[in-house]
Amino acid sequence: MCKIRIRFKKNGYMIFTSHLDLMRIIERTLRRARVPISFSQGFNPHAKMSFATALALGVSSDGEYMDIELDEKVDLDNLAKRISKELPEGIEIIQYKYIDKKAKSLMSIIKYSSYVINLKLEKKISEEELRGNIEEFLKEDEIIIEKYSKKKNKTRKVDIKPMIKSIELVNIDDENVLLKALLAAGSEQNIKPEAVMEKMFEKMDFFNKEYVRVHRLELYALNKKDKMVTPLDDSIA
Amino acid sequence: MKSIDLKDILYKVEKPARYIGNEINSAKKNLDEVNVRFGFAFPDVYEVGMSHLGMHILYHILNAEKDVYCERIFAPWVDMEEEMRKNNVPLFTLETHSPVKELDFFSFTLQYELSYTNILNMIELGNVPIRSKDRTEEDPFVVAGGPCAYNPEPLAEVIDFFMLGEGEEQIVQVMNLYKEWKKQGKSRNEFLEMVCEIKGIYVPSFYDVKYNEDNTIKSFEPKKDSYPRRITKAIVDDLDSVNYPDSVMVPNIDIVHNRAMVEIFRGCIRGCRFCQAGVIYRPVRERSLEKVEKIAEDLLKSSGFEELSLASLSTSDYSKIEDLVNILVGKYSGERIGLSLPSLRLDKFPIEVIEEIQKVRKTGLTFAPEAGTQRLRDVINKGITEEDLTKTVKEAFELGWTTVKLYFMIGLPTETYEDLDGIADLANKVVDIYYSIPKEKRGRGLKVTVSTSCFVPKPFTPFQWYEQDYRDEFIEKQNYLKSKLKNRNIKYNYHESKTSFLEAVVARGDRRVGETIIKAWELGCTFDGWGEKFKYDKWLEALESTNVDPHFYANRKREYTEVLPWDFVNVGVTKDFLQRENERALSEKITPNCRMSCAACGITDDFIGGDCKCVR
Ligand code: SF4
Repeated sequence: MCKIRIRFKKNGYMIFTSHLDLMRIIERTLRRARVPISFSQGFNPHAKMSFATALALGVSSDGEYMDIELDEKVDLDNLAKRISKELPEGIEIIQYKYIDKKAKSLMSIIKYSSYVINLKLEKKISEEELRGNIEEFLKEDEIIIEKYSKKKNKTRKVDIKPMIKSIELVNIDDENVLLKALLAAGSEQNIKPEAVMEKMFEKMDFFNKEYVRVHRLELYALNKKDKMVTPLDDSIA
Repeated sequence: MKSIDLKDILYKVEKPARYIGNEINSAKKNLDEVNVRFGFAFPDVYEVGMSHLGMHILYHILNAEKDVYCERIFAPWVDMEEEMRKNNVPLFTLETHSPVKELDFFSFTLQYELSYTNILNMIELGNVPIRSKDRTEEDPFVVAGGPCAYNPEPLAEVIDFFMLGEGEEQIVQVMNLYKEWKKQGKSRNEFLEMVCEIKGIYVPSFYDVKYNEDNTIKSFEPKKDSYPRRITKAIVDDLDSVNYPDSVMVPNIDIVHNRAMVEIFRGCIRGCRFCQAGVIYRPVRERSLEKVEKIAEDLLKSSGFEELSLASLSTSDYSKIEDLVNILVGKYSGERIGLSLPSLRLDKFPIEVIEEIQKVRKTGLTFAPEAGTQRLRDVINKGITEEDLTKTVKEAFELGWTTVKLYFMIGLPTETYEDLDGIADLANKVVDIYYSIPKEKRGRGLKVTVSTSCFVPKPFTPFQWYEQDYRDEFIEKQNYLKSKLKNRNIKYNYHESKTSFLEAVVARGDRRVGETIIKAWELGCTFDGWGEKFKYDKWLEALESTNVDPHFYANRKREYTEVLPWDFVNVGVTKDFLQRENERALSEKITPNCRMSCAACGITDDFIGGDCKCVR
């Protein structure tokens, strides 16, 4: 038994498949590629694969990760080639390696995610003005959103300020704004860029509120020295 | 040609992956190298259409032709339709996202009468005229096939030509003829003149219908002597020799039947008297065990599906069903591939095999006795006895099953309240059987579901002459059953009689009903089969404004001598046989299944020569 960690992309029209869809797509891909994947025991065996975080519908990504368990050790390059051939257009393997069988799950190590966010302007605004607006937004003591819990059928107030590590302006023209953001992600704390933008729009009336396009760049874990590293970094995996 | 960029509108709709295409094993072709563009349209949402085996078969066959490109088209859900209309996006194909107007054929499969308003909606969303007479050389040929096409008349104004029967060979003939026609640069009408000579092709505009004063049909006549007087369904002689998909599209989202499907045989030996499928798919033709095994292997390998299902009517009638199931379970359980089977006699299988099958069958055990008493089951020729049922249920309970579903029909010919009592009695017996098994041997939490649908008399069945119950009769019967099924282990579900009533109008409708369908669509009806979307009041309004009395079609008993709207279609089974079967029904006589003895249904007269393959 051994474990592989894979980094992959999701783009094109495939961004419109949900996380649940993606899991099924991957399992079938692995079957077509004849990957000797391990199955869980019990009455309803399932393929042993696990993903880092769920990507929202409509979000593209260069930083998706999954671990799969295999019954036997095989040549990785060959395996990756076989899987790549069977993946639907829009999903692409970028990196892979064997990791320790006992390595912590992806879900538990992920702490941050970086994004590029594309917005549309409804009114023209200068670069300096926008920078100032963003700075002000980030200076607030707290940024409260209401989170709805289906289980409890209740909304509760959450301060997302600590979950926003940074928001930077990358580019601006008459119509488009490109931001880069680093936000908390993972099982402990998680905030979606769409939710942050919604709060930002409350302070800034020059954006088209309907238009938020998100692309995930990378996921990060913290290594022993508390340094942000990717899940494939040697200092953790 | 420019393909449509859907991205921005996909952010605004529910389940956007319905519209993206790009599935594994979907056909990718260079449009410059393609001579004929065929659109296979399913008038329902992606999840329903993609679950339909017939579509996968024809898709595969058409795309196997090098210069033909078959693309899929599904009905956009209401939210998508709204966005499309708002943004001027026409109906498009999934493969290349091109407007349907660019196609040579825009072809619908007719699986259900209540999908007809969706057909109209899709044609209009494609910017193609609704009525065939308004189409020009710029438009694709709008064509249709599938089981409901055996009574094509309600869509006679809309469809340029129908393809009746099994399409595997016929559709290739149509494609070849089309290429020929295209080369010759002839007119649209000249193509229709040519194509009507192919077996099973019906061009409705070539025929005149006259009516009697009492609204029944007086005559149905071809406008020229050269047009065929009767349309004879196309049929495939040998299933082993026709092309079956060796690879199948793998949907990117969950669909109704999300698995590999192998058709193991066509037709049915049973001859239930309410069942249209049992007649129109005659005679029984089996695929050989070896071929089924090979197809299953190819499909699983190329798709990566984790589940395989065997498709046919009455699956356990496959002559080598035990061998087949044992082989498949032996071969695939190690790979964690489940086998799903719609109906099976459990007593024939070893326990390991049953356990394997059980893993997949999350839904419990289903039975369709259809009627509550042996008398009525004899009338409808449903060969299930109470003993069959109780025996199987007992075994299933002993194996740990706790969910049982029982399907019945109400409003069957000759039905009385005694027959309804029979339904309640059967359900209660199932409960008693469960409790007769010692606690430690049975599973926990018994759930018996009784479902009743309302009988809809269909063309080409021995009951095609019958009147359907009026709605208030149905409602009374449903209430009666409600009061009789009060056990806490039993849940009673019933179908709305409104939809069944309309189904009955359209199923046995003629050309005049076609006007009503168009009107209903104009009044905003679509997705009529989707419960919450069904607008009964709009339909009533449409019936009234087109002067169509629905009771004339649904609730009227026909005489044997009446000209029925579909009489010009030759399905092989003779009207004589249907009449004989109806008489036997009235005298409560069963007709043995085709394997026990031939009932001379007539299928051998025009089709598979002289020696019916049902008899072995
Ligand atoms: S010819 Fe006889 S055996 Fe064949 S389908 Fe008809 S009744 Fe059945």
